[in-house]
Amino acid sequence: MKIEFTPEQQALRKELQTYFEKLMTPELTAEVAEAVGEGGGPLFWQAMEQLGKDGWIGIGWPEELGGRGMSEMEQFIFVEAVMRAGFPFPFLTTESVGPILAKYASGRMKEKLVPKIMGGKIIIGIGYSEPGAGTDLMSLKTTARKDGDEWVINGQKMWTSLAHHADYVWLAAKTNFDPEVKAHSAISLFLVPTSAEGYSCTPVNTLGDVRTNATYYDNIRVPADHLVGEEGMGMRMIFEQLNRERLSLVNVGAFMQLFEEVVSWTKENKLPSGERVIDQPWVQINLAKCKSGLEALKLICYRQASEMSKGNLKVEDASIAKVYGTEFFVELYRHLAEVIGIGSTLHRHSKGAVLGGKLEEIYRRASVITFGGGANEIQRDLIASAGLGMPRAKR
Amino acid sequence: MDFSFNDTQQDVQKLTRQILSELSTPDRLNQIDQQVDRFDESLWQQLATSGLLGVAIDERYGGMGFGFTELCLLIEEVGRTVAALPVIPVLVSAALPIQKYGSNEQKERLLTGLVKGETFITAALSEAMSEFPGAPEVMAVVTESDYLLTGTKIAVPFADKAECILITADTVDGIGLFLVNPKAKGVVLTRQRSTTNEPWFELTMNDVSVAAEDVLVTGSEAVEVADWISERTMAASCVMQVGVVDEMTRMTASYTCERVQFNAPIGSFQAVQHRAADCLIDSTCLKLTAYQAVSLLDEDSEATAEVLIAKIWAGDAGHRVSYAAQHLHGGMGIDKDYHLWRYCLWARQLEMSLGNSASHLSALGERIARE
Repeated sequence: MKIEFTPEQQALRKELQTYFEKLMTPELTAEVAEAVGEGGGPLFWQAMEQLGKDGWIGIGWPEELGGRGMSEMEQFIFVEAVMRAGFPFPFLTTESVGPILAKYASGRMKEKLVPKIMGGKIIIGIGYSEPGAGTDLMSLKTTARKDGDEWVINGQKMWTSLAHHADYVWLAAKTNFDPEVKAHSAISLFLVPTSAEGYSCTPVNTLGDVRTNATYYDNIRVPADHLVGEEGMGMRMIFEQLNRERLSLVNVGAFMQLFEEVVSWTKENKLPSGERVIDQPWVQINLAKCKSGLEALKLICYRQASEMSKGNLKVEDASIAKVYGTEFFVELYRHLAEVIGIGSTLHRHSKGAVLGGKLEEIYRRASVITFGGGANEIQRDLIASAGLGMPRAKR
Repeated sequence: MDFSFNDTQQDVQKLTRQILSELSTPDRLNQIDQQVDRFDESLWQQLATSGLLGVAIDERYGGMGFGFTELCLLIEEVGRTVAALPVIPVLVSAALPIQKYGSNEQKERLLTGLVKGETFITAALSEAMSEFPGAPEVMAVVTESDYLLTGTKIAVPFADKAECILITADTVDGIGLFLVNPKAKGVVLTRQRSTTNEPWFELTMNDVSVAAEDVLVTGSEAVEVADWISERTMAASCVMQVGVVDEMTRMTASYTCERVQFNAPIGSFQAVQHRAADCLIDSTCLKLTAYQAVSLLDEDSEATAEVLIAKIWAGDAGHRVSYAAQHLHGGMGIDKDYHLWRYCLWARQLEMSLGNSASHLSALGERIARE
């Protein structure tokens, strides 16, 4: 046991810090601030390609896939740095869908898409949820029927984030209609090009200013090799993908950055008495609560990255990271907002906005994290059954 | 970053687990509770025979010569079984500083016997109004031939059994660390009743003479040594809490899967599962922060903030898991024929020893402000 970064990993963290200081020009920072967490502007794409060219996106990917062959830990360190930098990195594409795609997609699709993922040239949207299927994903109604060498897809998806920037949707659809077959084995995964005839996308504007989408699939025809893995294997890949997503969702980088920025603010700003904001005992307590909570989250993440390097991503660990990380984050931004006071409610475009209005924006954006990526109730079910051997809860 | 245990560490863990699960059963603990002192003498001797008392003691004194991590893995198992073994006061708070800062003569005299289970040593870290050894009110007056100690320490485990007790006291020149014989003239031991029933004593000294050979450290280094002891004792308490909390969580999961109400095991109800899942989350956070502190201390790296954070988690997780376990066990948790109550008492004792979540949050906050 040695719970410290190796000297090489420390050097990598340093290198990344310097790298992102250069990459995040004021122009790029301004562009992504207006695109609120989703990127998609010209400077964003330029930076993505740069990240690809410089070999960062695939740092932990195997060399035969065009990566640098380092471990999941280095990959995690990279994502931590990207998130600290405030760059809206499409981590679901690169960290979560990407590895599953590389593992299961057909030869041709893999050859076509993996280099684009590594090169920062593509975003893939996720099409699981539907108006009537959220947490109960297996009740989804979108269908894919085989017709000769093609699949014909019909249905509607909800909350297809980034679909308006995406080249493909990673889509779950029902492929077996035999009432005797369990829902679990009736679902398959497809790569659906957003350029396909019959595809459409309408925006859903959200409280956090982040655009998400409803997407529609009207008799879309895709070639047979757009099926990912085997027919009926969809749920297995979805679980695998979601376990990876859970770690990316709570990557400690963005949380650390926010904490450090608020700490600096409390040291730089003075009260009328001449004391610094941080000299008040209650402020110190709030910051200490954030710090001790962050430390646990950091270790949960690092241990998981370290386990993933050995190929042991456990269900309960992924769910513990998700529940703890998201619920802690809700507390974190509240404690930090309290420290800043009323200024924390000023919009980034307001006169007098504090720290670029980050805390005002986070409050609006963060309300999705405890149910996005798998509702925390379901995660707790998984922790109890996989981690403590309790019976699977009836739904 | 390596979160796994190496072969030696796994061996220590396995051996301890095997001995304790065999010899420190609930029945055995019931027997121990009938004694005046909560101490499993024969089990202590068994640890000596198997070499485990010397896990972190140098081979020169008959120990195994392993590090703090190995010692903490032993302590975690003691927590998991709530065995009646004073591993923290003896093997951490007293033995480690003697090994690191003691003279050859002191080490020979005290550690050799300790490893064999023949010599007992302990530490008096707290006073009623000063919980940490770095800021004692006990006074030490220097004379030509010795030091004279006056004042009172509290919550001293096994003070009556010890050959010597490690004590901090204030000299005019900063603090000093002394080895006091509890049978010395001027020492009065008064039994205290701790919540876990571990034998504790109030130790009052009135001009107790400590000769040169029983002085451990004086001078400018002494405060650092006191902090060195505090940090290791705190980290060890956190790791013991890891064992306590983990076992309470497992007991709760297994009990609720057996207990049937409304024709179903209550552990199949979501409300019950979610409370148990929260226990496992707390247990995970405590374990990781505690291991981080241990790992850094084992390397002799700076770990003050990490120890504070681990102790905050030890307090919070101990408190929350203990109450959740009691709640989910219904009346069984308070039935003294069932085993949970001991864990709850230890969780509380560890939570309140050497600072608590509130005081450590305040200390951590001050550090952030100073940085």
